[in-house]
Amino acid sequence: MILELDGVTARYPGAERDALTGVTLGVAKGELLAVLGPNGSGKTTLIRVALGAMKPAAGVARVSGRPAHEWDRRALARVAAVVTQREETAFPQRVRDAVLLGRYPHLPPFTAPRAADRAAVRDALAACDAEALAGRWIETLSGGEHQRVRLARALAQEPELLVLDEPTASLDVRHEMALFEQIRSLVDARGLAALVITHQVNLAARFADRVVLLSGGAPAGAGTPANVLTRETVERVFDWPVAIQSFDDRPQMVPLRRVLPSHRSS
Amino acid sequence: MGRSSLRRWTAALLILGACAPRHRHPRLVRAPSVTDDAGRTVTLAAPAQRVVSLAPSSTELLFAVGAGRQVVGRTTWCRYPPAALSVPVVGDGLEPNIESVAAVHPDLVVLYRSPSNGAALTQLEQLGIPAVVLRQDRLEDVARDARLLGTLTGHPAVGDSVAQTLDVVTAGRPPVAHVHIAYVVWDSPPIVIGAGSFLDQLGTLAGAQNVFHDLRPASAPVSLESLASRNPDVIAVVDDSSAAATPSFAQRPEWKAVPAVRAGRILHLPGDLFGRPSPRAAQAIAAFARLLNTAK
Amino acid sequence: MKWGGLVGAALLTLTLAVVLGPTRIPLGELAGSEIVRDLRVPRALLGFLVGGSLAVSGAGLQALVRNPLADPFLLGLSGGAGLGAVGAIALRLPGPWALPIAAFAGALAAMALVYRLALVSGAALDPRVLLLAGVVVGSFAAAITTAIVSLSEAEQLRNAFLWLWGGLSGASWTTVGVLAVYLPLPLLLLLGSARSLDLMALGDEPAGYLGADVTRVRRRVYLAASLLTAAAVAVSGVIGFVGLIIPHAGRMGWGHRHRTLLPVSFLGGGVLLVLADTLARTAVAPRELPVGIVTALIGVPVFALLLRRWVRA
Repeated sequence: MILELDGVTARYPGAERDALTGVTLGVAKGELLAVLGPNGSGKTTLIRVALGAMKPAAGVARVSGRPAHEWDRRALARVAAVVTQREETAFPQRVRDAVLLGRYPHLPPFTAPRAADRAAVRDALAACDAEALAGRWIETLSGGEHQRVRLARALAQEPELLVLDEPTASLDVRHEMALFEQIRSLVDARGLAALVITHQVNLAARFADRVVLLSGGAPAGAGTPANVLTRETVERVFDWPVAIQSFDDRPQMVPLRRVLPSHRSS
Repeated sequence: MGRSSLRRWTAALLILGACAPRHRHPRLVRAPSVTDDAGRTVTLAAPAQRVVSLAPSSTELLFAVGAGRQVVGRTTWCRYPPAALSVPVVGDGLEPNIESVAAVHPDLVVLYRSPSNGAALTQLEQLGIPAVVLRQDRLEDVARDARLLGTLTGHPAVGDSVAQTLDVVTAGRPPVAHVHIAYVVWDSPPIVIGAGSFLDQLGTLAGAQNVFHDLRPASAPVSLESLASRNPDVIAVVDDSSAAATPSFAQRPEWKAVPAVRAGRILHLPGDLFGRPSPRAAQAIAAFARLLNTAK
Repeated sequence: MKWGGLVGAALLTLTLAVVLGPTRIPLGELAGSEIVRDLRVPRALLGFLVGGSLAVSGAGLQALVRNPLADPFLLGLSGGAGLGAVGAIALRLPGPWALPIAAFAGALAAMALVYRLALVSGAALDPRVLLLAGVVVGSFAAAITTAIVSLSEAEQLRNAFLWLWGGLSGASWTTVGVLAVYLPLPLLLLLGSARSLDLMALGDEPAGYLGADVTRVRRRVYLAASLLTAAAVAVSGVIGFVGLIIPHAGRMGWGHRHRTLLPVSFLGGGVLLVLADTLARTAVAPRELPVGIVTALIGVPVFALLLRRWVRA
């Protein structure tokens, strides 16, 4: 297991409730784990605890067997790469230089990037089908292209574990599917472990090997998509009537229409 | 002619004599009116009896023209002559507090000519308190202002005589300069005295040529390099320490490039005599000449 | 190619600073002249070191607070130094080094105070709070300075303000030597943080996941930039615009990567200040303009130009 969370409970300072309660999960190499749940169910917090950016109140998070917060940040960045939900618009630069940032965990402070680093950048861009973008300025990219570049940057870190937080937010169907296909092929071809946070139930169900469902910070189900994503569970967690249909041996969720209760004066 | 007519004639002659115009002794004018150094016409109903002086140079001058007892307010820095110390303080003179000035009920306020006194002037005008603005940068200014203050305070004769002493000093031909001098007022950045200052004038009259006489203002920052290359024989500073004490700038390595500093040829001019243009110019010049001789 | 131009410009301005001055010294006599040896050369070197330090400090701070309009003096250091210096003048502290030491101490005090105010949740420095704390401390120090200045004699008043406007008149081989020993440490600290500063442009969280120890880097950059600025102010008063403009000019020519930007800023800052000082010494000889005014006079139109290009881009 590259990543293990063992009974993790976490709370933000000054918050009234726990952000995570008793979460246990594991990701192994060559496996794509999707963490599902509605907005505010603690998914981003899970990443923070998993990678030592936040200390859990109870339980422990381990990367490659060692507690996450004991890892040196640069060493951890060589093992695990994260594509966060949001990042600041950095200064104008070319795509290949932006991807080069991913090599920084491998570069000692005063040395210049070496030939091996540039090769890693080219390799990462190729794996994300983004070689054509190498010379483009990053501000000129579309949403989908930018996301591929961020993925390439993560790959340039040469990680064993890839963590993506809502990678398909604001992408259209073509780019959503393409991105997930890319992640799937990286997992299959290179044996990476992938942890994908998403609220897109159907994408998770199609591509993930296993699924963890979170509800209000607590686990509501873990296992294969078919086992976890039953109608009762999904309706309970997402608070909306659905129908579950099977496609390609994978459960797919179809939300049903519901007439909202009209206002009644009381 | 009888004895009574002789007495009457004598009396008449005396009276006539008293009425004759005198060139040497100006008549005591009942409603003195002058033009001050800001071009303003200042007219008083009667010679001022309660004068507030807002500059040390004016205070000294008031005492010098014999109006010392009429001074009812001074600034903290007005410490000369010693008699001035018993006069109540009404502020420190910079951006004067008109309230404290008005509290001593002056009938004349003497101000130094400076842009920061503009507001004070307006306030005094609003309160109906006459104010006179003086600029005392050079000895000629002191002479003129001595006459001015003498007229305004009812001591025109003394004022005139002080002025005449100064006129003699300034009109006299200056001796041939035998020393090249620079007056250092500040060290970071180096600020020296220029032609517009009374110090330059005093020096010239004592036989010292200011190497920065080509600077028009009273003082200006200059590059240390200019001071080094103009190579004055002696450096003068205005302070009250003894001749043995070295000013702090003289210990800095870059100032050693000035030969006079390196050789320790530094003159200390006492602040009392040299800190401002004063009616004791003759005394100052003589003291200066003595110091210059010992410095050689 | 561009590097060559920059190094060439540095050598040229240094040469001009030695050759030109209020006194005309023929080229042949330069080597033997005491004035050149004891005044002009140390002054040129000091100007280069101070200008370079201010520019590097500015570049670091702009990255630290993620604001391209940050200036080394935005963090209250100039206020602290000014207060220290004016205090030394008002108290008539003895000794030739009273002014620089007091200014340095004042700057360090301001640095510590701003740091304390900007600490949130443990050891983390929040950039926005840092800016606000800097403005607050700077204003407070300036208010006390003004109070002291208004209570002291007129002569000290003007002299205090002249010092604050900045000048290299205190240059000597001693000051150059002290800076040469002092500067390498903060400069290396900043250069070592260059990679992390690139990463922090992405945001604290992504930078952390790319291996940057954001908290520690912030502290290091703040400390190094403050140490550089404090030394510059102690030796030469407040010289504005160098720290603000040079990093921008550097970015326009060399890009945003700090490993390049920091050394480029150092060279550029040195060139600007030495040029400004040469002008300050020679334009109205034998009088001397405060160099802070010359850098502003040169800097403001240049900055306006850069601003227009930045806005249009």
